[in-house]
Parts: sequence; C-alpha cells; structure tokens
Amino acid sequence: MADTNSNSKKTLKQITFKALKATVKAVLFYTIYLVLWMFLAPISEVIPGLQQTVEAFVMVYVVLIILGELTSGTVFQYFFNAAKALFVICYLIFSLSGGIFGVTFQNLNLIVDLRVLLTIAILLSLLGFAKSLLQAVNYMNERAEGTRI
Amino acid sequence: MRIPIRMIGLATTFFWIFLIVFSASALYSIKDLKLDFGEPQMVATSDNKLLFSLPITIANNGYYSIEFFNVTTGILDEEGLMIARGSTFIPTIEKDENVTVAHNMTIDVNDLLQSHQKYLFNDTELRIHETLGMRIAEFIPIQASTNISLPWGAPLYGFTLGEIEYTPYNRTHLSVVVPVTFENHAFFDLTGNIQMLMYNSSDLLLDEGQTVIEALQDSAYDGYVELYVPRAGMTESGRFEVYFLTPLFNYGPLVIPYG
Repeated sequence: MADTNSNSKKTLKQITFKALKATVKAVLFYTIYLVLWMFLAPISEVIPGLQQTVEAFVMVYVVLIILGELTSGTVFQYFFNAAKALFVICYLIFSLSGGIFGVTFQNLNLIVDLRVLLTIAILLSLLGFAKSLLQAVNYMNERAEGTRI
Repeated sequence: MRIPIRMIGLATTFFWIFLIVFSASALYSIKDLKLDFGEPQMVATSDNKLLFSLPITIANNGYYSIEFFNVTTGILDEEGLMIARGSTFIPTIEKDENVTVAHNMTIDVNDLLQSHQKYLFNDTELRIHETLGMRIAEFIPIQASTNISLPWGAPLYGFTLGEIEYTPYNRTHLSVVVPVTFENHAFFDLTGNIQMLMYNSSDLLLDEGQTVIEALQDSAYDGYVELYVPRAGMTESGRFEVYFLTPLFNYGPLVIPYG
C-alpha cells in the first residue's frame, strides 16, 4: 500500500516536472519568436498574411515541443522530435514556395530568392531528424541491454 | 553513442541560431535601404537622340553590403514591343555607403517615329517596365519589378491642312497658300522645317515650298506654306506630300489629298 502511494507520488512528481519543463521550453520558444518578430514586423506590412503563417508555425512547433517533453523518457519523445524536424522541412518548402518567394504589393512584384537559406535550413532539419533517429536507436539499444542484464 | 548525438545536437542548435539571426538581420536590413529617385531629365544628344537620365541615390544603412545592384528600364509600345532599354549596374555598395548614379536611357526618336507613325500624330501611352535587382548579405537575391504607363504626347498632334487659298500671282501662275496647324504635345520643343510638294491628279509636280516651324512644348502651331503653281497644271483634285525635317526626326511623305 505504502509502495503504491510512493509510486503514484513519484509518477505525479515526474509528470509535474515534465509539464514544467515543457512549459519553460514553450515559453522560451515563444519569447524567441516575439524577439525575432520585432525585427520582422516592418516586413509584415509589405507581405500580407506573414504573421498568420509564422504564428501557425509557432503554434504547431510549440505543441510538438510540449508533446516531446511530456513523452520524455519514452521512445515517443524521439518520434515527436523527428516529427518536429520533418514539420520544419515541409513547412519551409510550402511556405517559401520552394525558395522563390514572391509577393505582389499594389503594382509592385517582389521576388526574394531564399533557395540558399532554404537548403541550409533543410539540411539542418535533416540533421535534427537523423539525430532523433539515432537517439531512438540508442534508447532502444540501452533498454534492450538493461533488460538483458 | 550519447556523446556523438549530443555533439550533433549542439552543432545543429548553433547553426540554427546562426541561420535565424542571419536571416532575420538580413531581411531587417532591407528596411534601412533608402532609394531616392531624383528629377528625371531629358536632353538631346549630339547624334540627335533623346537621353533620358534619372538620378538614383542609394543609401545602404543596413547591416550588410549590397551586391549586383541593377536597374533596368524598358519602354514598350502598346503591343509590347521594345522601343528603348536602359540598364544601370553597380557591383558593390558597402554598408553605410551612399551612392548616386544616373540611370540613362537613349531613345532614338527618329527610329521610333518612322516605325510608329501614330506616335507622331496621336497622343497615346507607352508602357514602362522597371526592374530593380540586388543581392543582399551575399546570399539573398531580391528583385522588384513594376509596370507603369507613361503618357506620350504627339509632336504633331492634330496636324491638318486648312482651307487652301488660291490667288492669281501672274498670268501663268497662281499663289497657293496652304494653312498648317498642329499642337506639340511632346515633351520636347519642336523646331525644323515642313516641306510640301503639290501634285495634280496626273501626278505632275506643280510646286514645292517649305516653312520653318518652331513649336514649343505644349503649344499650338499655326502657319502656312506658300506655293506658286502653274495655272495650266492645276486640276480639281490632287495631293500634297508633306515632309517633316527636324533635328530629332525626319518623316515623310505624309500624303494628304485635296479637292
């Protein structure tokens, strides 16, 4: 009975800690977004819908951060991390129209070629994806070794 | 395996931070790029062409240098055919540097009016395609383009020959006075000569005469050409062939029937 109580207390403590960690990470990420947005705000006047697009990205990313943290200590954490990396790749490709970003403002057509930056971002995301896979493999490996011992 | 994974994580985080800060600052520095277009000037060159000159001042107050800055202007007619094209290129504009360049474009009015008569007599519109391109922060090429319409004022707008006056000059010849009127709607002053040839219905040249024209920009011209034609050659109908000879363009013959 005492063991069960102690276990449930421990689990509750773990969940609270995970939730706290997830909140801190989400708040930190949102703060970074707010700081960066101060720089990008003048551009949003020229590009309609930029804020909504960026906010949608931030929301999904924050959700994935929270899910990743809540599932930490399980293999699902790495799945969510991998999903995060894949989401970044897909989001960047679709939102930047393959790197050639075009905006029409009144009679002015503006084209920004972001292919180099997009390529670097995709490579970094792929690196993040590979890291998540390696972490998952490592986690399963360590678990298998623990079971054997 | 944990250490290599952590190293990958650290390297990825470092590069992400670098990439985000670099991209944001590069895009933000566009805000500090100031472009000023001065008063456009139009001058006639020694080879009788019109030189369109637009001073452009670029103040790069951003965080990065600008490379391959170019401005291209294309003047197109209503059908989209290129009439004139001018380009200005600056290889590098360092940060905190102010550069002023003249964006020049030469328009051969003679060529334009020979191939497009309507520009001589009718007010119309020209299409201007303006393209501005540059590369900021070494990595990000940017191009802005726009289409604008430019009203074209005809130098010989509403060119007409008035009521012809025939008066006896002597026993064999008649004095023929042909009134000439038009309005100069062009952006340049028009000076030169109008040469007029009078033919009868049998294509016989009766006489030729000329008059000096001087029509300032946005002003009307009202003059006449006097001819002395033989009474014997006169017919009820015929034609005038009109030639325009100016420093900027020569045009003719403009055939106008009479009678």
